[in-house]
Amino acid sequence: MYDIVIIGSGPAGMSAAIYAQRAGLKAVVVEKECLGTGKIAESQRVDNYPGLFGENGYDLGERFRTHAENLGAEFIEGKIIKIVRSNGEYTLQLDNDKALAAKTVIYAAGTQCRKLGVVGEQELLGRGVSYCAVCDGAFYKNKVVAVIGGGDTALGDAVLLSGLAKKVYLIHRRDEFRANKTLQNKVNGTKNIVPILNATVQKINGKDHVEAVVILQNGSEKALAVDGVFVAIGSTPNSALVKELLNVDENGYIVADETGVTSADGIFAAGDVRTKKLRQVVTAAADGANCVLSAEEYLNKNIQC
Amino acid sequence: MPARVNAENFDTEVLKSDKPVLVDFYSDSCVPCKRLSPVLFQIEEEYADSLKVVKLNINFDSSVAEQYKVYAAPTVVFFKNGIEQTRLHGLVKKSELTEAIENLK
Repeated sequence: MYDIVIIGSGPAGMSAAIYAQRAGLKAVVVEKECLGTGKIAESQRVDNYPGLFGENGYDLGERFRTHAENLGAEFIEGKIIKIVRSNGEYTLQLDNDKALAAKTVIYAAGTQCRKLGVVGEQELLGRGVSYCAVCDGAFYKNKVVAVIGGGDTALGDAVLLSGLAKKVYLIHRRDEFRANKTLQNKVNGTKNIVPILNATVQKINGKDHVEAVVILQNGSEKALAVDGVFVAIGSTPNSALVKELLNVDENGYIVADETGVTSADGIFAAGDVRTKKLRQVVTAAADGANCVLSAEEYLNKNIQC
Repeated sequence: MPARVNAENFDTEVLKSDKPVLVDFYSDSCVPCKRLSPVLFQIEEEYADSLKVVKLNINFDSSVAEQYKVYAAPTVVFFKNGIEQTRLHGLVKKSELTEAIENLK
């Protein structure tokens, strides 16, 4: 029986593991990816985490992990498929037929890339459809690509790809971009980026690999010949596992303030999966710490050891 | 450590290899590629007698990636007698790799 099962090994989960170890609680981190460190690993450079200016995201994640490991944190690779509460305790069912018993749960499962949900997206994944411009950009030297989205990630991807590809269509459903002004200025000053506004993606065509993206603009459909499609339309919270157990907002984020306390007794939410204004490493790390304190208070109040 | 191959020696190192070859098409600053790398290191040691494991950086040798229609990193392609047998892409689990290797025999 664990005092705390921490779900997720990003900055929030790692911070919770660190605080749990320091508090002398029996805790384990369950992570879906072996040796994971969460989404921060994909950031090229993190310039706003205090004390570590200019660190790249991958190395920052590794530092978090090493810190937790050095304090003796335990990790399990696996996916939790069901959480059941009985007699004030939680049973967490893993996908390998094993189960964990816990007095409390710190849920820090983060977010994932939002999908377009159009025909061709899943079929051509890895064959022209990508969610990672940094990973796959180099395959498109002197080719034509489309970036879908209007936020910082989409415009950042477009700028990165403009240095490799011959032409970059930047397709956005609204009449203006949401990205920061610096990125917008960069996009406007880059000749081979072609913004296409007020357009939605209808489908992605291709046999063995992507050949065209079909858009709907001003009521008419048009196929743009492209070799690759980079999807950057934000993220959705990984809250499906717990949404029957506790309150989530209209976008699926778990409703909780900075204490991490949710509507379910003994489940605490930390990191990007929680309702909050600013989703950053620094706020995720703070959440992990707060959740351990909340879990500790809950244990002291509710459970006789 | 899997050796790096390039466009120049791909023919001799991969296509004309006596043993089946696992080629890891990876790119720089690609997180799933970094995560996969220690797993491939283990595979190389465990199958040292029956499998050759190499990697190819698509930032430098994009012509090979293009030739084999590799569009995502990481993509792992298995070759036997110069012919592609199967491929896996993304951060695959070790069990998926060993299954593919068993199927080569």
